[in-house]
Amino acid sequence: MKNTMGVELSDSERALVECYQDLVRVLRESQDLAPFERRNALKAVAALWQVVNGLDLDPGNIYEIGA
Amino acid sequence: MKESPYWNPRHETMPRDQIEALQVRKLKNLVAWTERQVPWHAARLKAAGVTADSIRSLEDLRRIPLMTRDEWMQAQLEKPPFGPLLAAPEETAIRYHLTSGTTGRIPLQVLDSMKDWEWIAEMWCYGFWGFGVRPADIVFFAFSYGTFVGFWGAHYACEKIGCLVLPGGNMTTEARVKQILSMKATVVCSTPTYALRMAQEAKTMGIDLAGSPVKRLILSGEPAGSIPATKRLIEEEWGAKAADTAGMTEVGTIMIFECAQQPGGTHIIEDHYIEEVVDPATGDPVGYGELGERLITSFGRGMIPVLRYRTRDLVVRVPASTCTCGRTFDIYEGGIRGRVDDMKLVRGTNVYPRAVESIVREFKEIDEFRIHLYTADGRQDEIEVLVEIPGSEDANAARILAELAKSLSQAHEGLRFGVKKVENGSLPRFELKAKRLQDDRTVIGTAGERRVTA
Repeated sequence: MKNTMGVELSDSERALVECYQDLVRVLRESQDLAPFERRNALKAVAALWQVVNGLDLDPGNIYEIGA
Repeated sequence: MKESPYWNPRHETMPRDQIEALQVRKLKNLVAWTERQVPWHAARLKAAGVTADSIRSLEDLRRIPLMTRDEWMQAQLEKPPFGPLLAAPEETAIRYHLTSGTTGRIPLQVLDSMKDWEWIAEMWCYGFWGFGVRPADIVFFAFSYGTFVGFWGAHYACEKIGCLVLPGGNMTTEARVKQILSMKATVVCSTPTYALRMAQEAKTMGIDLAGSPVKRLILSGEPAGSIPATKRLIEEEWGAKAADTAGMTEVGTIMIFECAQQPGGTHIIEDHYIEEVVDPATGDPVGYGELGERLITSFGRGMIPVLRYRTRDLVVRVPASTCTCGRTFDIYEGGIRGRVDDMKLVRGTNVYPRAVESIVREFKEIDEFRIHLYTADGRQDEIEVLVEIPGSEDANAARILAELAKSLSQAHEGLRFGVKKVENGSLPRFELKAKRLQDDRTVIGTAGERRVTA
């Protein structure tokens, strides 16, 4: 996986990016999450967004999922 | 594994051409987002012929119209409380903060979402980590924890870093000094003025702060953190290193920080902002080493896009290579040097004389007034408003003074104003340009300095 600057991400970095992407997907698609699941996942996404942004993957804004 | 001295090593040491490429890409995204989400901005961009697709280099940035604080305030007045500036629904916000306005009682108000709030802490992490703060540190915040954003982001940055955080709100200076010692704080965060105030209080208590575990002070809210003589005094009295930072409510966090090498200036966080320095009169860019006004474009808070905002701060930009830390982020030599406008910073709070005047003028009984800034005990900034109240009984005058003090404080994030009645006819009258502000503060290290020594 390369970032928008053409830099190849390390395995660890790629794992963090995939974790973020998975969380965003779950928050977008799932309607059955309990409050503790959704709100804690949102906090995790808000933190992981900083990683993805810092790795130059242009995560955009994610207000539509509540973060 | 060797610990990095940088929070984001890849960005902080990126070659300049790559930083610029990163900024261009982020600018393009920001313009696209803003066009789509904020009609107020979209109309301005359209009028200037700017579209996201037309952004190809940093030169294109100059086609984006400048935004002023007055425009922001006016937009808020037209569509209260936040103006037509939000790019996302209010419901997504988790934080509300404000700063005193340029006119009257209406403050500049902002919202942050969960992601934006996390970003605000992220910016402070660049500064704290860059100055050497690590998870083992114990960090004391001499901060009021109110609606003024101040050190809020720094608090969460320290939690993120893994420090033990001591939130020192709602405490007397004596209680703060005691807690710094009893909890063995290694880092203290405050305004420069208040760092000196705590040192003074410690002396009164018979405490030598230089012998305390405090190793670092993170300063913010006033330019004095980069005034060499003031900084030297703070470092001497605390026996610790002091680093300057500067931020603004309009972006929610800091834009610049001083690294552990203390190069006599503050690095610009250039992977999250574009900072331009221009001639305040013409708007033309000025070169390295020349004094000019900062313009800021922020890639952080998506909820309120900030494009080419006129900060009115005066700075001198120098190349990153003037510091030996290895960062490629340019530097503001001497931090924030001053202001283009008449705003005054009093104990970290922005005070606009015209805002004070508009509140004073709500009291019809007041005939004339003067705003007086002075330095108390050689180191503490104070502000007082002197008023003439002709023909008023003592009881009525006392009520007016109390109400005025309360109103001024409420409009300035709780800043304490002294309000005094003076003899009728004692204040100067003006026919043309009134000069009702008298700034008698001394800057430590300058001629006329009144420094209190032990």
